[in-house]
Amino acid sequence: MTGSHTTYSPLVRSLFERLPHAGDLAPGPGAVVHGEAIALDRGAWVRYEARIEDGRVADCAFRAWGCPHTLAAAALVASRMHGHGIDAEAVFDVRRLAAELGAPPEKLGRLLVVEDALIGMLAQALALQST
Amino acid sequence: MPDGAPIYLDYAATAPLDARVAEVMSNCLRDPTLQGNPASGHAPGRAAAACVEFARGQVAQLVGAQPETIVFTSGATESVNLAVLGAARAAGSGKRHVVTARTEHRAALDACRQLEREGFTVGWLKPGTDGGVDPGQVAAALRPDTALVSLMHANNETGMINDIAAVGRMCRERGVTFHVDAAQSAGKLPIDVDGMGVALLSFCAHKLGGPKGIGALYLRHRPRPALQPLQFGGGHERGLRAGSLATHQIVGFGLACELARVGLATEPARIRALRERLWAGLQPAAPVARNGAAEPGLPGILNVRFPGVEGESLLFALDGSLAASSGSACSSATAEPSYVLRALGLSDLAAQASLRLSLGRETTEEEIDRAARLLVACVRRLRAALPAGAIEAIA
Repeated sequence: MTGSHTTYSPLVRSLFERLPHAGDLAPGPGAVVHGEAIALDRGAWVRYEARIEDGRVADCAFRAWGCPHTLAAAALVASRMHGHGIDAEAVFDVRRLAAELGAPPEKLGRLLVVEDALIGMLAQALALQST
Repeated sequence: MPDGAPIYLDYAATAPLDARVAEVMSNCLRDPTLQGNPASGHAPGRAAAACVEFARGQVAQLVGAQPETIVFTSGATESVNLAVLGAARAAGSGKRHVVTARTEHRAALDACRQLEREGFTVGWLKPGTDGGVDPGQVAAALRPDTALVSLMHANNETGMINDIAAVGRMCRERGVTFHVDAAQSAGKLPIDVDGMGVALLSFCAHKLGGPKGIGALYLRHRPRPALQPLQFGGGHERGLRAGSLATHQIVGFGLACELARVGLATEPARIRALRERLWAGLQPAAPVARNGAAEPGLPGILNVRFPGVEGESLLFALDGSLAASSGSACSSATAEPSYVLRALGLSDLAAQASLRLSLGRETTEEEIDRAARLLVACVRRLRAALPAGAIEAIA
């Protein structure tokens, strides 16, 4: 029994300390969509929420349970969604994100949970737009 | 600890070297009259041997033993290995059964698994949810061919204390060799090897303010348990542990034992009060739960879990501010949940949301209060980011 021996990149440290966009959306105009992915066995649970205006993400927030890499990834993706169109693939590539965060290979499964939550949210946004 | 250093609450892993011990070791290393091999018959050797024998007496006194019953080793892991493997192998062909608990330290578990590979049968006891092994469980597990019972005095993760005296009586009546792993309890609890009916007892220096790399195995004088050595080459330590003795390590171990023995009059009560102060200080982080029963428990260990908090994130949030141990195993790159906590009935997630906080000689009230505030703040921050329902689902 001892502490973790995992090393964390400066980007993970910075995001983890601040957790930007963690919590709930601020009130505002536009439709609210959300997406959630739960994989307790993989050690991650992520929920995104976004306000959509004119086909773009006006605001995005997340809630998450997981390791520092999971929380940092969820925060980074939420930051990048701001002002972005509802096109997930342009924002999110799990391998690129893992490399950017310096996440070890065993954390890829958790980052995929982040991706699943985001895809779920954007799918809801697309469905909303098509109606 | 120096200014700016993290609050150190990991005494169960290792205690900081006592400055008085460091000084006596340093003096020993520098003293030109103590550079001989303690096994040599010339004057420098005899001078070193005199230091070793003085320290042997100090070490023996800590556990209520006579000096000649102490065998020096490289640490508790070696002592446990020597006791478990050595006693089982020496027991003879008719005695091929060993009893131990699933919550023992890996030093004992892995030694018992090695015995299984050699054809022994091991009875693996499952502790109760309080973390303790009931003597009745041991009684039920004993067989006519039982060679050895090996149990911890106090668990290294939960601090739970086993009723060693009851098991000792039982083993003595049944003619079974009884080994006790006292790595966590030596110097923290009074130990009387005769009164406890112990045949073999393992402990080490670095858990009680001594140096790493030195330990001891107590070997009862009468009746002396049969023991096969694990290493050969010189007949040191009455043929049980070959290798030149490290005079400075042993001198440091001796003083650490002496200091711990003197401290037994006051330190357990002081540290227990600090532990309870810490537990009270953590209540604002509710829900928070204790793993294992508070009593009978080692004064210095508090194992807590914070439902909904992911263990790696908690440790990372504390990094640089507080040194403690997580509910995950150190031997795995993938942070396996603690087998001890799982054996107590905790789920993998609950085990991973756990933290062992262990206090010791240098722990102060101010540190405890600061640690509690820090932990509460970290737990609240991580919980503030949780999805709705996560605390209940993960607990």
